[in-house]
Amino acid sequence: MEFVQYLVNILSLGGIYALLALGLAIVFSIVGLINFAHGELMTIAGYLIVLSLSFGLPLPVVLLVACLGAALSAVLMDRIAFRPMRSASVTTLMITSFGVSTICKVLFQNGVSARGRAVALPEWMSGTLTFGGFQIGMVPLTSIVLTALALIGLDIFLRKTTLGVAMRAASEDFVMVSLLGLRANTVIATSFAISGLLAGIAAILWISQRGSVDPLMGFTPVLKAFIAAIIGGLGSLRGAVLGGFVLGALEVGSEPFLTIGTAPYRDAIVLLAVVLLLLVKPDGLLPAVRGVRS
Amino acid sequence: MNKLRYATALAGVAAIALSSTVGYLSAAEYKIGAAMAQTGALAPYDQPGLAGFKLGIKDLNAKGGIGGMATVTLEVIDTRSDTAATVNAAQKLIDDGVQFLITPGDADPSIAAGQIGQAAGIPMLNLAGSPSLTPAVGDYMFISYPSDTVQSAALASYATETGYKTAFLLKSPDSAYTSKFPDYFGEAFKKKGGSVVGEASYSMGQPDFSAVVSQIKGLAPQPDVIMTTAYEPDFPAFIKQLRGAGVKIPVIESDAIGTPTVYGLGSVVDGVVQSSAGFPTPGSGMEAFNKRFKEETGHDAETSYEAAGYEWAQLLDAAARKAGSLEPAKIRDALASLEDVQTVLGKVTYAGTERVALRDVAIIRIEGGKPTFLKLYRPTKEEIPNP
Repeated sequence: MEFVQYLVNILSLGGIYALLALGLAIVFSIVGLINFAHGELMTIAGYLIVLSLSFGLPLPVVLLVACLGAALSAVLMDRIAFRPMRSASVTTLMITSFGVSTICKVLFQNGVSARGRAVALPEWMSGTLTFGGFQIGMVPLTSIVLTALALIGLDIFLRKTTLGVAMRAASEDFVMVSLLGLRANTVIATSFAISGLLAGIAAILWISQRGSVDPLMGFTPVLKAFIAAIIGGLGSLRGAVLGGFVLGALEVGSEPFLTIGTAPYRDAIVLLAVVLLLLVKPDGLLPAVRGVRS
Repeated sequence: MNKLRYATALAGVAAIALSSTVGYLSAAEYKIGAAMAQTGALAPYDQPGLAGFKLGIKDLNAKGGIGGMATVTLEVIDTRSDTAATVNAAQKLIDDGVQFLITPGDADPSIAAGQIGQAAGIPMLNLAGSPSLTPAVGDYMFISYPSDTVQSAALASYATETGYKTAFLLKSPDSAYTSKFPDYFGEAFKKKGGSVVGEASYSMGQPDFSAVVSQIKGLAPQPDVIMTTAYEPDFPAFIKQLRGAGVKIPVIESDAIGTPTVYGLGSVVDGVVQSSAGFPTPGSGMEAFNKRFKEETGHDAETSYEAAGYEWAQLLDAAARKAGSLEPAKIRDALASLEDVQTVLGKVTYAGTERVALRDVAIIRIEGGKPTFLKLYRPTKEEIPNP
C-alpha cells in the first residue's frame, strides 16, 4: 500500500515537472531559447486565478482564464522581448529571459503586492478520496488526470494538425521549414502559446498544492523544469516529459531513505543523481533529433 | 547697466544661498537611513515595516520632531533582499551622514549591515527577531520585534496551559527563524514539563509535504500538538496536505503566518494558533494605529509589521527624550535603558536585556478565516530560553 502511495506522489509531482519541462523544451527546440521567465507565466496564471475568483466566476471559467491568460502572456513575451533578439546566440537569449523574469517579478512586487495572495480554491479540492482503505488526495488526483489529458492533447496536436507537424519539423530543422514556405513567426508564436498554456495548467496544480500566489513563486518550478529538461535531453519533447517524471521519482523516491540529518541535503542528493545520470548519458535520456546538413 | 544687473543677481543668489543655509542650520535635522528590502524575498516584511515607519516619522514631526529637538528626515535604499546590496546601502547611508540606521528584517543581512553601523557608532533597529543578531553585531544593534525566544516562551506557556504534553516540531534548516525558533519552543516547552516526541525537516519552497505528513500520520501515540514556524508558501502547502490527509492534530505557529494569505486558506487553517506582536483588540493602541494607517494610506495594515515599523519612531522619540541629546552614542545608551515605553503595540523594555525587547506576545487563534484574540503573555526572563 505504501508503494502505491509513493507511486501516486511520483506521478503527481513528476506530472507537474513534466508539464513545465515540456513548456521549456517546446520553445527551446524551435527558437533555441531557455525561457527562465517561464515561471513568471505561472505567477501570471496564479494572479489571474485570484482575480477571476474575486469576480465570482465559476471554477471552470477561472481555470480557463488562467490558462489562456498565461498563453497570451507567453506570446506577448515573445513579441516584446524575444522576437527582436531572434538571431542572437543562445546565451544572449537566456540572459534576456532572466531580464524578463526579473522585470516581471519587480512589477508583481510593486504593482500587485510584495506579499502573497491566498487562492481560495473550493474546499473539495483539498479533500481526500478513499478507495477500499486507500486514500488519495484530490490535488494529486487532479494533477495526474490533468497531466495525462494535457500530454495526450499535445500529442494529438503535434501528430494530427498541420501546425503541429510544422512545429515538430521546425524543432528538427527550422531553416528547412522556413524554406518550405511555412511562416516562421506563426510557428514560433504557437510554440510560445503552447508553452504558456502548459505553464497555466502547471500553475493551477502547483497553486492548488501551495494555496497562495506570490511574486517570486516562479523561481523554484522553472529551476526544476530546467533540470528535468536537461535530464531528458534539452530540446527533446518526449525527453522533457520523461525527465519530469524521473526528477519527480528521484525527489519522492529519496524521501524514505532520508533522516532528519540528511533531509536538508535532499536537493543536493537528487542533483548528484542527475550528475551521475548525465555522466552516463551526456545528451540526456532521449536526446533531441536534429536535422544535420552537410 | 548690464553689470549692475549682474551684480544684483549675484547678490540675490548669494542671499538666497545664505538664507537657506541659515534656515537649514536653525531647523535641526535628524537623519535616519533605512536599508530595507523593498523588493525580493524580504519585501513582504520590510515593505509594510517601512510604510508604518514613514507614518511614525510623519506623526513625530507633526509633534515637534524627535525628542522635540529636530525634524526627522528619512533616506531609503532598497536592499533587494541581497546581502551584498545591503552592505552597500548601509555604507552609502552612513557616508550620507545618517544618525540612525534601520536594517533588513532578517538576521543575515542585518548582521552584515550591522558590522558597518557598529563600527561607525550608529544605533540600529530592524524587524528581525533572531536573538542571535544582537550579540553577533554588538552594542549598537537592537531588536524591537518580539524575538524568536520571547515568542517561543509565550507559545510554550500557552501549550502547557492548554494541556498539551507532547509536541512534534517541523523545521527547515534554511533559515534561523525556521530552525532555531522551533528548538527554542522545544526548550521552553520541556522546561514547563512537556516533551518533544519527534521532528521533521523540509526545504523552503518545496511543494510536496507528503513524506512529512505520512511521518506524522505514522506516529503512535499521536503527538498532542505540532509546532512549526514555516511560513508562506511552505505553511499553506503543509497545512493543506496535513488536513487533506485527515490529520486533525492541533498546530501552533509563529508571527510570520499572520497574513491575509494564510487567513484566506479556508477551513484547513481553522483552529491554528499563532503568536503575534500584538492584536487590535477594541480600544488598543494597535486598533487605533490600524485605523489611522488606513486613513493615511488608503489601504489596510495587513500585518503587525506596519505597527512594528511605526513603533520605531516612538522608541526613538522616547530614547531622545531620555537622553536629552541626539548624539548617536547617547541615543544608544538611552535606548538600552528604556523601561516600559508605551507604543502602539504595547509596553517595551530594554533595560536589563541584551538589547532584545522584553514585551507582550499576543496568542491568536484562526477561526473562520479571521484571527481571534486568545490571550496576552509577557514572558519573564526565566521563561525565555537562551539563544
